Amino acid sequence: MITIECEKVSKSFGPRGSPHRTVALDNASIDIERGELLCFIGPSGCGKSTLLNIIAGLAEPTSGEVLIDGTPVNGPLPRKIAFVFQESALFPWRTVIDNVKLGLAFQQVPKGERDDRASEALQAVGLADFANHYPRQLSGGMKQRVQLARALCLGTDILLMDEPFAALDEQTRMVMGEDLSVLLARTGKTIVFVTHSLVEAVFLADRVAVFTARPGRIKTVLSVDEEHPRKQSFMKSAKLAEMRNELYDLLHDEVRKTMELRGEAGESGARAQSRGLRR
Amino acid sequence: MIALGQRLVQVCVLVAILALWQFATTNGRINPLLLPSLPVVTTEFLGMLRTGAFWPDLRVTLYELVVAFALASTGGCLVGFLVARSGFTIRVFDPIIAGLYSVPTILMFPLYVLIFGIESGSKIALGATVAFFPVALSTISGLAYVDPILVAAARSMGASTTQMFWNVMLPAAFPAIIAGLRLGLVIAFLSILGTETLASIAGLGHEIVSFGESMETAKMFACIGFAILLALALNSTASFVEAKVRRGLE
Amino acid sequence: MSMNVDSSRSLRPPRSLVKRRPRREERRLSPGMARILVILAMVAAWEIGARFFGDPLFVAPPSQVAVALVGLLGVKGVMIAVGMALLELVVAFAVAVVLGVAIGLAVGLNRFWRGALYPIIVTIYAVPQSTILPLFVLLFGIGAATKIAFGITHSVFAVILTLIAGIQNIDPTLLKCARAMGANRRQVLVSVILPSLVPTIFTGMRLAMAGVLLGVLLAELYVSSAGVGLYTQTFANSMQPAKLFALVTLLAAAAVILNELCRMAEARFTRWHS
Repeated sequence: MITIECEKVSKSFGPRGSPHRTVALDNASIDIERGELLCFIGPSGCGKSTLLNIIAGLAEPTSGEVLIDGTPVNGPLPRKIAFVFQESALFPWRTVIDNVKLGLAFQQVPKGERDDRASEALQAVGLADFANHYPRQLSGGMKQRVQLARALCLGTDILLMDEPFAALDEQTRMVMGEDLSVLLARTGKTIVFVTHSLVEAVFLADRVAVFTARPGRIKTVLSVDEEHPRKQSFMKSAKLAEMRNELYDLLHDEVRKTMELRGEAGESGARAQSRGLRR
Repeated sequence: MIALGQRLVQVCVLVAILALWQFATTNGRINPLLLPSLPVVTTEFLGMLRTGAFWPDLRVTLYELVVAFALASTGGCLVGFLVARSGFTIRVFDPIIAGLYSVPTILMFPLYVLIFGIESGSKIALGATVAFFPVALSTISGLAYVDPILVAAARSMGASTTQMFWNVMLPAAFPAIIAGLRLGLVIAFLSILGTETLASIAGLGHEIVSFGESMETAKMFACIGFAILLALALNSTASFVEAKVRRGLE
Repeated sequence: MSMNVDSSRSLRPPRSLVKRRPRREERRLSPGMARILVILAMVAAWEIGARFFGDPLFVAPPSQVAVALVGLLGVKGVMIAVGMALLELVVAFAVAVVLGVAIGLAVGLNRFWRGALYPIIVTIYAVPQSTILPLFVLLFGIGAATKIAFGITHSVFAVILTLIAGIQNIDPTLLKCARAMGANRRQVLVSVILPSLVPTIFTGMRLAMAGVLLGVLLAELYVSSAGVGLYTQTFANSMQPAKLFALVTLLAAAAVILNELCRMAEARFTRWHS
């Protein structure tokens, strides 16, 4: 059963008709099944985060629409969708447990129930002992676990995550990914996940949507046929490596195109190198 | 970007103030000795501009400002450089200078009048004192907080101490020093104007007060308007120069 | 790898054989001690300069100032004047902070009004207010009202501008996060905006204190027929520099204490804000 439908969603920034107007997202369409874990991957600025924000009702599309369970999105749907942000979106003046409880408080959940659900969620991410710490006392990985707990305890069917591990080092994110796979296999939520990491995409997702360079379109969708929770053995498997390579080929040209658009990359190849040497 | 509606509000506020002024003074509710009407003040202002009545006092004020700022910027930069020579001297002197800066300098004015006299001397001394602190403090912080990566990079390329100072420390600290100089100039001007109203025999501030005391309020308002325009001009010129210098560095 | 480390360590002679050389920092004074010495040296220089080179009609050495200060503490008129000045400072400070925060919130939280009024407030802030001090006296007389009003106008704009800047610096992710969790406008204000602004409000208070000190003291000195201004005038005219220095020291000490209280409050209440 389909729970999220994106129909020809486009998003442009800048004043209409101005030369500075950029098309971030161009006619993106994708249907997301209930209970599946979908990953968005693509070069920077390809509009994958924008699409995620539009699904969450945190941004409005310029054209097209998103349907959740058949109803068009126009604004946040806190009872259906929980969001995990890239940066630490923890409130620095609240303790860990108070951060987790905040969303429940916004939705007028009774006090006693708030406490139970928040402790349960903290337990699930393994941070029960840190309930009374402040965010600044936590490491980057722990902060993202708290965000995850906060999103989980809202009890929504859908979980959207915008590069949740972007700020973490590779080893931490490897372990976080394994834990996440175990945790999410249990909850049965529908999850959309934005990442820059090829391995992370393959390791976690049921399907990977690959975006093109700006203007962002969905280039292709790959399926990863492997049951959840994913094991360490999958991480080391030839299957994962093969899929990663396929993603690499799909993305490589798009990333270079993006960098050339921004003037970051050299003209590519030996000519640029020899010029550099002569100088 | 500022929208049309917002411009409209700004114009409305200005018009409302002027209209209120006009209304209050023409209705005879307010004693014209307290608040003369807008046309009277404008005529007075233009007349004083034409006859150059501001000139002698403006010259005194600007003279005080130039001398005070010259003293403060030389002294402040010099002290800043000396203090920033080592981490130890920074830790010893920076809190002392910052602590002295937190004393309202205006309190020194009675002493300065006693010591330097009621003429320009006391204003110059106070203006220089006020401006000294931001210049010295920003020089110290500019030199003390140069990006350690830049220092390490220069050292790895074999820079000597002198080369390090001229090629790394000074350019890196320059924006902070310029910001300190701008702040020093502006607050020196404000405090010179202020002290001229307190006790003086010449200068724009003195002129305002003496017109007030002799109940020539239209002249006083014209003078206040002139001083305000001057301050705004000085402020924006200083900001402009600072921005220009900064851009030149990048 | 670990073997290498061990062998290199064994090449060094045992600690007891080397004459222990104190490290550089240990040989030196601590910065705190050095600071006290510098301050003492400055006071000593002042003492010597004033005693042997200065004209006793114009400058007084710190020893005489200290004696005069003790004497002033017993003079009722001076104490009333200083107390009055402190009262004016506190009242002006309270009004400026409350007014500034209220106006800052009202203007800063609305994009339209912020854009429209911000340039006006900046311009007013840049006006040299000492030029309109005579107007204040004409309007409010020579009593406390003038000094309080002048203190308020010297500080309220800084608070407003600080608050507007603070509102613009609120972490947009937190606002978005609250919205995603279903917070309504009131909940966003109470749970995100106001807590985010706590450090800003304290910064505003610190600036307000500096402004209030300037405004009130300027007005106090300007009005020379009563209060602190009367005494500075009297002491200066009657060539009693020790008393004048003492009065200034007293006020400066009060100012430093007030500034310090603001700074401590700021540090105390913004601890989570690392």
